[in-house]
Amino acid sequence: MPFDPNFIRRLLPALLEGAEITIELSVLTIAICLVWGLLVALANATRGPLAWLAAAYIQIVRNTPLLIQMYLVYFGLGFAGLPLSGFMCGLLALCLQNGGYVAEIYRGGLQSVSARQYESGRALGMRRWTLYRVVVLPQVIARVIPPLANQGISIIKDTSQVAAIAVMDIMKVAQIWVESSANTYDVFLTVGLIYLSLTTIVSFGARFAERRLAFVA
Amino acid sequence: MPDTEPGRMATMPRLMLEMRGVAKRFGANEVLRGVSLSVPRGQTVVVIGPSGSGKTTLLRCINMLEDYEAGIVAVDGVPIGYAVDEKSGRRQRMAERAIAAARETIGIVFQSYNLFPHMSVLSNIIAAPIRVKGVSRPQAETRARELLAMVGLSDKEKEYPARLSGGQQQRVAIARALAMEPKIMLFDEVTSALDPELVGEVLAAMRQLARDGMTMVVVTHEMSFARDVADRVVFMDGGVIVEEGPPETMFSTPKTERVRQFLKRHNDRYRI
Ligand SMILES: Nc1ncnc2c1ncn2[C@@H]1O[C@H](COP(=O)(O)OP(=O)(O)OP(=O)(O)O)[C@@H](O)[C@H]1O
Ligand SMILES: [Mg+2]
Repeated sequence: MPFDPNFIRRLLPALLEGAEITIELSVLTIAICLVWGLLVALANATRGPLAWLAAAYIQIVRNTPLLIQMYLVYFGLGFAGLPLSGFMCGLLALCLQNGGYVAEIYRGGLQSVSARQYESGRALGMRRWTLYRVVVLPQVIARVIPPLANQGISIIKDTSQVAAIAVMDIMKVAQIWVESSANTYDVFLTVGLIYLSLTTIVSFGARFAERRLAFVA
Repeated sequence: MPDTEPGRMATMPRLMLEMRGVAKRFGANEVLRGVSLSVPRGQTVVVIGPSGSGKTTLLRCINMLEDYEAGIVAVDGVPIGYAVDEKSGRRQRMAERAIAAARETIGIVFQSYNLFPHMSVLSNIIAAPIRVKGVSRPQAETRARELLAMVGLSDKEKEYPARLSGGQQQRVAIARALAMEPKIMLFDEVTSALDPELVGEVLAAMRQLARDGMTMVVVTHEMSFARDVADRVVFMDGGVIVEEGPPETMFSTPKTERVRQFLKRHNDRYRI
């Protein structure tokens, strides 16, 4: 029987416990990728071997499925005698892949800043780091917020794949409840609504940040 | 070093800009073929010449926005970009840090509007003094307001560049360059992209600057500006200085046929 309030009342605490793992994974992945992706993009903007390395990394992680990366990290580290928890493996794989996507977003942002802007800064005596901090990055950040928000939403949804390596996230909890009850529909509906509320928070946060950082241009 | 040689100082007026034998190529294209140019302190040199003659490249070499293969540049006796080793006489590229420091002494304004779009007018002007020179914010703001008053934009300090006209943006760009208290100002066709009715306000600011004793190198097609403001006019063609002299003689009795041709074509086009 779908829409059974008693069933949902029993289900909810378990799902919220799983949601806690989902939120932890999402927040950590987003925070790490914001920094890691920028480092990769800056490396990619240099000339020389570092740029090659960054480009190769981006290509590889973007062109293989997340699930495969997760299995490779999970079992690979196991074979290598470094068994990490499922949570850590999931986090690592999520950061690896999304770091590549976020780096591409930053790269687009960096390319949108014209060479003239760099020259104006240099002509005023700015050295590389000052130039990036004062002139380039503020412009990049204002422009990348919308695509970064999309990526953040995509990360939240992607965390559901850690269920495959036995992490008790909301998806895994849901699967267990589905197997042990006939009320499949209520489980997935509730899970869907929880995901929706998480992604909505990101959307609103991004819109707020966009307004704060926007400049007339 | 020259400061310790008073005798030499007395016979040679101190040059604010000295370029010797600057040569620059883009691939096979020799854009500057050994250009030497000296500008005494407080003087304005106007550079004219046909499109592609190397005027922009010349200015960009002065502050090392463009690297060059031969020659040296010094501002107020301090080398920029390349220093000559005393003993070997060899030319050596300076460290990035030294080049950046030297650039602080050279203000440049480009043809295209290059203000920082994410900053207000005031922030555009105080950014480099604060972040590069370490000037305190109140001090930088006071100076910025003086400069904005000088270019006639006191009421625009909170505005963003996108909300300003081209002429206003160029005047802010002049103020931004001046805020670093440069020893010399370089202008590359700063009025060429402007609507005709906005040209005057920018030229007026430059005239004022010249009157106040700034040393300037000005690339322009505005011949009336050259006639009024220039101490010396330099004609470039094919990467060399073909002729130079005071504006009175350059414009009325040029020595070379090339300058005559250029001025004639120019006057036909602009009917002046
Ligand atoms: N970055 C570059 N790469 C390759 N060639 C260049 C570059 N910049 C300039 N050139 C070439 O150098 C030559 C001189 O260019 P420059 O811009 O200095 O001329 P200009 O005298 O300023 O011309 P204009 O009056 O049109 O501004 C031209 O042939 C131009 O094509
Ligand atoms: Mg030019």
